[in-house]
Amino acid sequence: MASEAITAGKAPPHDRRRLTHLPLWAGLAALTALVGLGLGSLGALLVQAPGVSPSGLWREPYLAGVLRFSLWQASLSTLASLGLAVPVALALARRPSFVGRRLLLRAMELSLVIPSLIALFGLVAVHGRQGWAAPLWEALTGTPAGYLYGLSGIVLAHVFYNLPLAARLLLQELERAPAAHWRLVAQLGLSRRAIWRTLEWPAIKRLLPRLAALIFTLCFTSFAIVMTLGGGPASTTLEVALYQALKFDNDLALAALLALAQLTICLGLWALALSRGGTPSLVAGDGTMPIKGRWQRRDALGVSQITDSLWLVALALLLLPPLVAVVVAGLGGVTDLAAQASLWPALLRSLVMAAGAGGLALVLGLALLAGRGWLAARGRRLAAGLMEGSGQLILVLPALVLGTGLFLLLRPRLGGGWQGYGLVVLVNAFMALPFVMQVLRGALLGLPLAQRRLADQLDIQGLARFRWLLWPRLRRPVALALAYAMTLSLGDFSVIALFGSPSAPTLPMLLYQQLGSYRWQTAAATALVLLATVAALFMLLAWLTRQLPHYPLSNSHRPGAFWSRGIDRQEP
Amino acid sequence: MNAKPIRTALGLVAGLAAASAMADEPRTLTVYTYDSFVAEWGPGPGIKKAFEARCGDCRLEFVALSGGVDLLQRLRLEGEDSAADLVLGLDMNLMADARDLDLLAPHQADLSRLALPIDWDDPVFLPYDWGRFAFVYDSEALPNPPKSFAELLAAPDDLKVIIQDPRTSITGLGLLLWMKRVYGDEAPAAWEKLNDHVLTVTGGWSQAYFSLFMNGEAPMVLSYSTSPAYHMAVEDTKRYQAAEFAEGHYLQVETAAMLKSSEHPALARDFLDFVLTPDFQRHIPLGNVMYPAIDLGEERPAVFDRLIEPESFTFSPEEVQAHRREWIREWLNASAR
Repeated sequence: MASEAITAGKAPPHDRRRLTHLPLWAGLAALTALVGLGLGSLGALLVQAPGVSPSGLWREPYLAGVLRFSLWQASLSTLASLGLAVPVALALARRPSFVGRRLLLRAMELSLVIPSLIALFGLVAVHGRQGWAAPLWEALTGTPAGYLYGLSGIVLAHVFYNLPLAARLLLQELERAPAAHWRLVAQLGLSRRAIWRTLEWPAIKRLLPRLAALIFTLCFTSFAIVMTLGGGPASTTLEVALYQALKFDNDLALAALLALAQLTICLGLWALALSRGGTPSLVAGDGTMPIKGRWQRRDALGVSQITDSLWLVALALLLLPPLVAVVVAGLGGVTDLAAQASLWPALLRSLVMAAGAGGLALVLGLALLAGRGWLAARGRRLAAGLMEGSGQLILVLPALVLGTGLFLLLRPRLGGGWQGYGLVVLVNAFMALPFVMQVLRGALLGLPLAQRRLADQLDIQGLARFRWLLWPRLRRPVALALAYAMTLSLGDFSVIALFGSPSAPTLPMLLYQQLGSYRWQTAAATALVLLATVAALFMLLAWLTRQLPHYPLSNSHRPGAFWSRGIDRQEP
Repeated sequence: MNAKPIRTALGLVAGLAAASAMADEPRTLTVYTYDSFVAEWGPGPGIKKAFEARCGDCRLEFVALSGGVDLLQRLRLEGEDSAADLVLGLDMNLMADARDLDLLAPHQADLSRLALPIDWDDPVFLPYDWGRFAFVYDSEALPNPPKSFAELLAAPDDLKVIIQDPRTSITGLGLLLWMKRVYGDEAPAAWEKLNDHVLTVTGGWSQAYFSLFMNGEAPMVLSYSTSPAYHMAVEDTKRYQAAEFAEGHYLQVETAAMLKSSEHPALARDFLDFVLTPDFQRHIPLGNVMYPAIDLGEERPAVFDRLIEPESFTFSPEEVQAHRREWIREWLNASAR
């Protein structure tokens, strides 16, 4: 049992029988909190709204159009992101060492958490009508560069967000194949097609359904990108209609209905995906070491040298210029930074809230996974799946609905200040939970049976089990999960704008304040600070856990090697 | 397990609670407003200071939401239990809905000090600033801007403008009403012509102005006629100007109001009276980049003399309330092909 030892960690061994239920209770508590608050808030909307009729959604031609467009743009974006991510991932896997590979991989991991306002600014600066790429476009096509607006722009922006994520995860899945397999591939001198058939496709196939579901959900619920680049009301997603219903029209019934429609579509898709694919991790975890060219692949020579280079250059050209544009614009305003009294307090406030949301998301995620493990070990597969699935609820339940519903639940009065901040932290934690769980699940659930049995036989329990068996596997995923959760919360504006705040702003709020009062230069500098903080958090947390933990009994050079030596991997 | 950290944490919480209890001792007015109002450089801090100096032992606390629509929504959700004493930032188009909530009390302020382009005698909503919607253009990219809606609609298709969505943005709703006021029943046809010039419709003003217009994506953006004042006064550039349309411009008036449920009604009325004094109003022109609601005389920044002064008009709040959905539907039909 991978997870029980976490919670049992602090207990003396003779209490074990009583404590073995702890993972279940922890999981149930987290489940109750999540589903209770999630469905509770939706329910609160429904209760407030008289006369909800689901048929209204299809009878109303406007809403039917919205639904069609949401599905259409999300499907296109998913197809484009995945279709391009596969060759990129294959190229990355075939080229385990080139200059800038690590940097590229880091940037790919970051793309998920870049706040949409900042990404939009960068995309416009590069792909807009006056963007860096516009002269090139005009030279090639002879027409002015207008491709950023309309469906093409929406898909481009979604590909910008999701292709790096997808390629990074596919790469991780490819690299997970045991070294022995690659050795065989090299020794047998397998051709390009044979490698694809024997190694690459089986790995990719496992991941594709979940990846497609994730990307589809993210695109389906996209708001700022669709609104800014869509070109007009013909490009309206359910999320926009929901915003309008909830805020402008105060039509709680319609809002709840739209949320339900979104929930049904996305949950259906997830159910389909989960029943098809395997259960690989959906967020770039610590991964195994890339195979550093020890086994020469036959297909790494010849034409693929050119095509791989093209794919990798294309990836870099998609991902990096918008980020560079944000940095360049920000540097122009750096001189204003010193005059911004509210910047550093805002940054600190954001970091504290992000830490709170990150910590909460970690606790909830660990509890749910522990409960899931407990149930799965006892053959309750459906219950286990439900427990894990509940963590994904927020992906399909708009934060606006969650926030407004919580507000209704907490009525009559939501005090200002601390309660407001607390609620923001709570919702942010929920928002980060799907990603946190993806990072942690591989480490928690993938503990090799052999190691577990060995620990059982030696009666290594409690603290020692946690320290020697789990922690070495968990420390890097925990840091990464924390990084994702903190940066998602750090860049979040939607939730804090919903609850309002005392005059002390967080960093994203400060950014909007500056934009709301024409301070472009300062806003660009603030955006740069935000982006730099996000990147720094990732690097700091990765660095902290890359440092070897202090193991007094071991002179091994790798965390976890104590257990894995001689079992599944050979030291180079 | 050591219990010390827990005790420390409990102590901290108790300390915070005590601190906030102490902070509540002087009479505190809670004002709901929007986020750019309370920014460090916005009008909020100066107004807070001036009012606290005026009342002696009171405190003014702002709670920032993201816009007027959020203010209305918050009032609606909180009802009579709202923590707010005052709400500052509901514009004319939200007034009727806000009035219907039956949560607001008369302001009793002396309206003779007002200097608005229209008459005002509303007993509940007190104007604190106003402005006109306008298309702001980049004079380097567009030396000869259209001089009327008719010219804009008839311009070649490559003249692009960036507008905002009336479903999600105050300025977007402003344009919708502006077009309706100018074109009446012909509005759908006018929208179809305008749509040929629309580069994109953003969700909010910030994206349109910052991400697109300032990046040079289009030479014109829907904004306020006062926007150039900021560029001229603070950035010292005449590059961005508002296009004056012969048909006239739609007016926006932003108002303050007090809640019936306020625990300090007398103090809240004091604040509303303070709204129409120079101590409040002098923070408006460059802090909020809008026209002050009273005649500031010499104190009004000189750049405001260089702004366009077109004829302006509005619908009544009740007309907007009655027709808003219908007009948005009309716009959707003309625009979503």
